[in-house]
Amino acid sequence: MMSSSLSLFNFPARVFSAAAALRVGLLFYGLYQDAHSPVKYTDIDYMVFTDAARFVSRGSSPYARDTYRYTPLLAWILLPTSWTGPWGLHLWFSFGKAFFAVADLVAGWLIMRVLQLQFGMDRTRALKYASIWLLNPMVATISTRGSSEGLLGVMVVALLWAVTQRHIPLAGLLLGIAVHFKIYPFIYAPSLIWWLDAEREPAPRVESDEGSGKTAVSGFVDRISDFLTPSRVALGLTALSTFSALNLSMYMLYGLPFMQHTYLHHLTRVDHRHNFSPYNILLYLSAARGTQRDGVNFESLAFIPQLFISAMAIPLVLARKSLPGAMLAQTFAFVTFNKVCTSQYFLWYLILLPFYLSDSSFLKRPALGISAVFLWALSQTIWLGQGFRLEFLGISSFVPGLWLASLAFFAVNVWILGVIITDVGSLETAPRSSNDNMSAKTAFATGEAVLASGAAFGLSPRDELDETRRRTISDYIQQLEEFQELDDEEEVDE
Amino acid sequence: MKRRVTFVFDGDSPFEPDQAQVTNDSLLIRDLHAAKEDRATFSFTELPIELWQVLKQSHELHIRWAAELPYNATTPFSSRVSPGLHILFTPLAPGRLTQPLCQLLIKVFSDDLKCLAPEISFTIIPVLSQRFASNSSLQFYSLLPSLNGLVTYIQQKICRANTACLEHAASILSADSVDIDYDSISHSLIISGYFSKSPGNRGWTEKIRQREFGWDKVEVGLLELERATNPEELSMGGLLTVVGEDDKLKPTLFSFPSRHHPLPPNSVYRTAFTSPTGLHPTLKISIPRSSLSRPPAPHATCALHTYLTLPSSIFVDKYQLSTTDPLFLNSHNIAALRGISGATDLEAPDWLIPEWGSNILLELATPQHSVSGQEDWNITIPLHLRYLKPSESGYRVTSMPWPIVFWACTAEDGTKMSVNPFSRGNLGWDGNFGPRTMFFQLHPSDTGWDGTLVVRQVEELVVPVLPIREGGNQARNIELGTIAVIFVGCVWVLWKLSLILVPLTSGGRGSFAKQEQKNE
Repeated sequence: MMSSSLSLFNFPARVFSAAAALRVGLLFYGLYQDAHSPVKYTDIDYMVFTDAARFVSRGSSPYARDTYRYTPLLAWILLPTSWTGPWGLHLWFSFGKAFFAVADLVAGWLIMRVLQLQFGMDRTRALKYASIWLLNPMVATISTRGSSEGLLGVMVVALLWAVTQRHIPLAGLLLGIAVHFKIYPFIYAPSLIWWLDAEREPAPRVESDEGSGKTAVSGFVDRISDFLTPSRVALGLTALSTFSALNLSMYMLYGLPFMQHTYLHHLTRVDHRHNFSPYNILLYLSAARGTQRDGVNFESLAFIPQLFISAMAIPLVLARKSLPGAMLAQTFAFVTFNKVCTSQYFLWYLILLPFYLSDSSFLKRPALGISAVFLWALSQTIWLGQGFRLEFLGISSFVPGLWLASLAFFAVNVWILGVIITDVGSLETAPRSSNDNMSAKTAFATGEAVLASGAAFGLSPRDELDETRRRTISDYIQQLEEFQELDDEEEVDE
Repeated sequence: MKRRVTFVFDGDSPFEPDQAQVTNDSLLIRDLHAAKEDRATFSFTELPIELWQVLKQSHELHIRWAAELPYNATTPFSSRVSPGLHILFTPLAPGRLTQPLCQLLIKVFSDDLKCLAPEISFTIIPVLSQRFASNSSLQFYSLLPSLNGLVTYIQQKICRANTACLEHAASILSADSVDIDYDSISHSLIISGYFSKSPGNRGWTEKIRQREFGWDKVEVGLLELERATNPEELSMGGLLTVVGEDDKLKPTLFSFPSRHHPLPPNSVYRTAFTSPTGLHPTLKISIPRSSLSRPPAPHATCALHTYLTLPSSIFVDKYQLSTTDPLFLNSHNIAALRGISGATDLEAPDWLIPEWGSNILLELATPQHSVSGQEDWNITIPLHLRYLKPSESGYRVTSMPWPIVFWACTAEDGTKMSVNPFSRGNLGWDGNFGPRTMFFQLHPSDTGWDGTLVVRQVEELVVPVLPIREGGNQARNIELGTIAVIFVGCVWVLWKLSLILVPLTSGGRGSFAKQEQKNE
């Protein structure tokens, strides 16, 4: 068993073939389900993207499609989906899904490269950790159903690769595009800047300053000029100019609807519908009360703890210990403290998990790892149960059911975040070498536990319980069983 | 001021000549078993000033009200709307707020109308073609179980102390449907009430007089449906008289092309929500197979349709329904989404929807092998609920009227339906079809699946909401609980971060101490 599994990870071609086969299989399964069942495999959002692409192909704005809340770039990328194939067949319709699936594989390859180059892992180990992404059934399902979240994954990991390989202008370009695409990656900017050229910054010169009798002002100026290294300036300028150029050109092309749907919408949205966020019931409450209430709107201050932790505190404390570790902690914090939380957001940090796991106490202490996965899945399952009662049975489970479940899920996430922070914080600041004393066996065993947790992801509320998705519970179970089968098959292979 | 009363017999109860007696100033009716339409026409100057001022701003105003209890729609009054109050309005000068209309509607019908101004609360009727400009451009709907408000308004503003008028107005309470029509071309306001049967079904017994309320003219017809030679036409035969002018009933027989045609009484449908409803209720329309036979329109293409009137708490996902996927459509027995207007936002909660709701026109599939089979033909329509405001119990009830179900038969070429004495347009749904279309409406069943009587053609839904008692402290507790948990979460994370900066060892404290010494 073990030797055959080892041989799988000895050859990148085999892992990538398996990852590709998984996606091709799911793509065709999706085509089959779409053609034979009124309940569609294809994500509702994919219909939104392709509708928008069709509008673009006719020369109009992608925002002519209601609920298209993305950059026009996405509709442009998916333009081929509006083409008609030979004999009038809509062969091109699946282009976007295939594109997202390929993006998954590229992301997986980049994870492997960063693990090898930056973490000094050998290829076999790197492949194992990259498989958390590559062979994860949740990731494969999300991209082959036609959700664009995986695209963010490839951008973020490419950004990480570029910056660690010192391709600074490329990193800036990627950061600019990523922020243009989905806003949240802006939290990585402080980490990148702080991490970049950290070794070139001289140690605090408190004593020397005092000794030479320099003024505080000139000392401050020196500190600033030391801080502004060419790389940092280059990263900042390329990112900013890419972001501005994209927004400016999109604004010139599509005007206010672009600003409204891509950015302003997120400021004005009510988000009263149930989701995993701890703020959810509070938002429903305050939205229903409208303006006729006195006192502080606490939920309007939600961005303060969220951004303070994810975009300031974590970068400052952790970025120099480990850049990917800090980025993971940031993303985890951003999602945990967000006003809206659906399962697609989990993908945002899953892409960064491979870089952290090798140093994590979740792997070093399997009991801790298993309890974390268990509690994370359990609190989510409880929430989903309450969501099912509300959504399908019509039982008013908002309070205490959904409310306590979302608070419990938040608590579990905060606890996990604490462990991640401590783990990343305990790393040496110096670049790490490949000698890691954790046994490959433990790594793989727990890696598998993470893979298995993908099955829990299958019960994602955004896909099923969120307003835009409606599927029956029998589909859930079927889906769950399919994932289970996939897992079983993998075990047999090993 | 004119009045027209039409009695229409169905085949069951024949008319005996002694049941109607003409005198020199009245018509005496006795034990007449018939459906009745009572129509009054007022000219501009005969109306109260506040009414007049609102009508002055209208190009057209059409009000359609139907009772919630199922009733027989006797030909030529066979057209139906969903139970409740429908208002179709075309302002005279588009772009100018016509707020007074809403104030008047609230005053006349009910304080509960969700009407701020037509430009805000009304929905825009999709225009099929500029050629059918006769259709009103704005639409409003509200459930309205009773016309008490209207009766009171007429009694106070129009009747004053006229006893005959007071009684006449009160009779509106037993009407099954009421139409109010105004247009700026004729400058007249027409109120018609339709009564499927006399109160208590004891037969109509009344004395119709000309002078009782200063009518300029009172016309009475006693009619029966005759066999028409042309399928597009209806033929009515019977007796007519002008009260106070004619000294006897005059026989008559006339034919006219009509848009609305009857279906046999056994052509029925039933409506219900499938259980459990959750936040995504499914509306089921069941039609017995025997009710599905194609209407008698030999030279026309016919399709079965349903027209839904949804209050703002309930909506359809237009992207879900406008799919061309045969698997989805077949699984619901829907052929296609033909029209949608009003509030179709997929995300907004109910309290942010300014419009009254939405209308949906669906073409329905019909069985491949008609008539055969025992089971009802079921059409299911996936609907969705908006979030409603919190309530003490954690639930709120929302209601929607039964949709109407009809065949629309379009002839390639044929008679253009001209206006006839009984023509009824501006029903909301009829504007979606061209002028050569004939409608055959199915009847809402008066008995449920289990044989019980249908008392209301209205379906109620229980919507789960946040349970909050007004003035209670649950809201405060939720607020404080959430904030406490998030605060503790924040502190925990920041504590973990601070441990990295300043490890909790003696060394950490020592370094602080050292620093302080240096600074001194």
